Amino acid sequence: MRGFQGYHPAILFLYYALLLLLSLLTMQPVLLLCSLFGAFLLYAALFGIREMLPDLVFYALLFVLLAVINPLVVHDGETVLFFLNGKAITKEAIAYGGAGSLVMITVVVWSACYTELLTTDKILFLFGKALPKLGLILSMTFRFIPLFQKQADRIGQVQRTMGLYNGKNLKQRFGGAYRTFDSLLTWSMENSIDTADAMKARGYGLRGRSSFSVFRFRLRDGKMLALMLLLSGIVLIGAGKGNMDFYFYPHLAEIETGAEAFVYYLAMLLLCCIPGFCEWKESLSWNYLKSKI
Amino acid sequence: MELLKVENLSFSYPKQEKDTAPAGKVIEDLSFSVESGEFIVICGASGCGKTTLLRLLKRELSPHGIKTGEILFGGKRQEELTDREAACQIGFVLQNPENQIVTDKVWHELAFGLENMGMTSSEIRRKVAEMACYFGIDDWFRHKTSDLSGGQKQLVNLASVMAMDPKLLILDEPTSQLDPIAASTFINTLYKLNRELGLTIILTEHRLEEVFPIADRVLIMDKGRKLCMAEPREAGGLLRRQAPDHRMLQGFPSAMRIYQGLDPEEEVCPVTVREGRDFVERKYDNRIRSLNRPEAENDGKIAMRMKDICFRYEKNGDDILQNVHLTVRHGEMVSLLGGNGAGKSTLLQVIAGILHPYRGKIEVFGKRIERFRDSELYVRGLAFLPQNPQSVFLKMTVLEDYEEIRPVMGYSKEEFDRKVREIAAFLEIEDLLQRHPYDLSGGEQQKAAIGKILLREPRFLLLDEPTKGIDAWTKKRFGELLQKLKARGIGILMVTHDVEFAAAYSNRCGLFFDHEVLAMETPETFFCSNNYYTTAANRIARRQYDGVLLVEDVIELCRQNGSRQVRE
Repeated sequence: MRGFQGYHPAILFLYYALLLLLSLLTMQPVLLLCSLFGAFLLYAALFGIREMLPDLVFYALLFVLLAVINPLVVHDGETVLFFLNGKAITKEAIAYGGAGSLVMITVVVWSACYTELLTTDKILFLFGKALPKLGLILSMTFRFIPLFQKQADRIGQVQRTMGLYNGKNLKQRFGGAYRTFDSLLTWSMENSIDTADAMKARGYGLRGRSSFSVFRFRLRDGKMLALMLLLSGIVLIGAGKGNMDFYFYPHLAEIETGAEAFVYYLAMLLLCCIPGFCEWKESLSWNYLKSKI
Repeated sequence: MELLKVENLSFSYPKQEKDTAPAGKVIEDLSFSVESGEFIVICGASGCGKTTLLRLLKRELSPHGIKTGEILFGGKRQEELTDREAACQIGFVLQNPENQIVTDKVWHELAFGLENMGMTSSEIRRKVAEMACYFGIDDWFRHKTSDLSGGQKQLVNLASVMAMDPKLLILDEPTSQLDPIAASTFINTLYKLNRELGLTIILTEHRLEEVFPIADRVLIMDKGRKLCMAEPREAGGLLRRQAPDHRMLQGFPSAMRIYQGLDPEEEVCPVTVREGRDFVERKYDNRIRSLNRPEAENDGKIAMRMKDICFRYEKNGDDILQNVHLTVRHGEMVSLLGGNGAGKSTLLQVIAGILHPYRGKIEVFGKRIERFRDSELYVRGLAFLPQNPQSVFLKMTVLEDYEEIRPVMGYSKEEFDRKVREIAAFLEIEDLLQRHPYDLSGGEQQKAAIGKILLREPRFLLLDEPTKGIDAWTKKRFGELLQKLKARGIGILMVTHDVEFAAAYSNRCGLFFDHEVLAMETPETFFCSNNYYTTAANRIARRQYDGVLLVEDVIELCRQNGSRQVRE
């Protein structure tokens, strides 16, 4: 385990929670852009720049789509740009739509990264301690989902070669889908008997079950925690003092540009870039070490 | 030291209301004992009560029913064991590798039993690490269990049971769902556990070729009774004297079957290939080196022809099929052998029209496959038997499931009933029609699935590993069934790992390797030019005779040649 992924699950989770909180609560364009930048940095580090480009196009389209909807529906704001079908299209509504869709995309990109970072076993570890039964059920569910998909595909294919549900009409298609689902249920129940047996055979239900995990809280986790708390603390102080407030209606608020505001922006930027930086650093330092050999 | 003792054990399942058959005893008056450190193999035809017996030995898995007699473990009656002893000291590995896995990560799976025992994290960490190293799991320790191959899954199952440090390990046909190479690896691991750690093992198995040489004793069961329990070498002789035509004899290692077929006096029965070869070469002459068989030319009409087929799953992925050429004629059976994950199953799916190639041409019955509309291809045309017969069935009983086919084929009620009766008689599955498909054994499911396929009166049959998990006797019956279908002019393409089966029943065999079909030849030419990838009978007799693949051939040649004259 290396890079940001190698940190303790609790750190990963806390970071995710912090970032989502900051991104969702603020509509301040600079903070949002920082967050979005950090998200894409991590995305590129995890999936590679080449992989990211097509996704980038997708996100850009999504951005335009979301940004356009708001001014079409909302006509508040002082600065009218032009009229469409007799309705005012305002600068403020466009800006609000843009900011809103930035928030959306930021959250989506962070979450996409986190499906890679915070894998099921880490989630389990986080919540399994408090609720051991739930932890096991979650773990079994996570195992079951790919199994279920595979079997559904198989059944569908085989039924097609049986000459069933090949038709193009809706009734046949729905019939086929329903029947596949029905038989999946039977299949899963039958097979879960085996799973239950395997659990019993390995002593499930004995008294005093413990819970094991492969994660340990190390010194570097502590350091990371301190750094995260420090940076987010600065940003929150800024928010508390009202420096980071931003409003769109009736007219756009000014973006703070003072030295003090700059400190807050910098803190946010640093905070958001931590994961991407950790991941990049890993590969960079490897290249460096290799070049010295 | 005696670890396990079974005394006069009888068992019967509770009678079900709708069950018309008398509730017979599944286990009847069975007694045997197992010494600590022994490797015991239990064998018997499907439905002889092996699985029930194994489950009775593990208290947590005991089926409900009426049980008489005693089971003693380590000198204690089974009922008197504490929960902890019963759970931890007897390990149990089931047949299906998939269903036994409880959690989503390999490391969690290894720790599962230990968590149940309430060990502390540091103890578990040590144990899990040790197990991962011993079983060679360390490389995929953090992988998802769903990404593992069947062999890897079964190894994880074994390791996670072994982590609990059991005294007795019970395995119920653990390799039946694995390909031959994974199965050998698994059995070798068991052998290592037995020899190195002195672990007591009780195993049921169809693949006796590999387990007989390493077993200390075998218990042969028939209809819930003990036929005999002896060292492998003697077991065959004992069984033969008690029941000369017994089904079980079909499943014995080739060397033993050759020996029994020739029935010489005062010789020690060979078990391994080496002993078998020794026996044949020492005892029998080889003036006649091969059997004279007329070469049957098949110039029947072409059922399926494919040219330059290329297929890949993803745009940027690797080719799974690369310029594959293949022709199958009516009335012949073609077998494709090859490694795991080589793409053999993918090839079948492409021919069945489930997947679509990006290049090349497939003709079925002389018509391009894309030209078939809706179900046209599948009605009185092509049929596909998937690897997992469970995906064929969707209904509560086999008969209800067959009923599905009626509208597709446009049969009238009377016509349909007649067809079902015919096919059920042909496959001998009349008793199974009212049962739930999932209640059937592996072999029975296979037959019921074939029944559903035959109802569609196919002219071209695709079979994906049809002999997986089937005992030798059923396999033989299945082979004969395929011969009958061939005689009706049906073309068959089979993908298999089962060398013996392919050698016995196919007209041509091919090797699927490096994304294409190589070496399409008659079984004799194909297997005799292989040194490793060939039948056990061929390995036994290849220095002595030419072109022999089957136990029956070896016996026949030995008979024709007669005993070697002792030269003074």
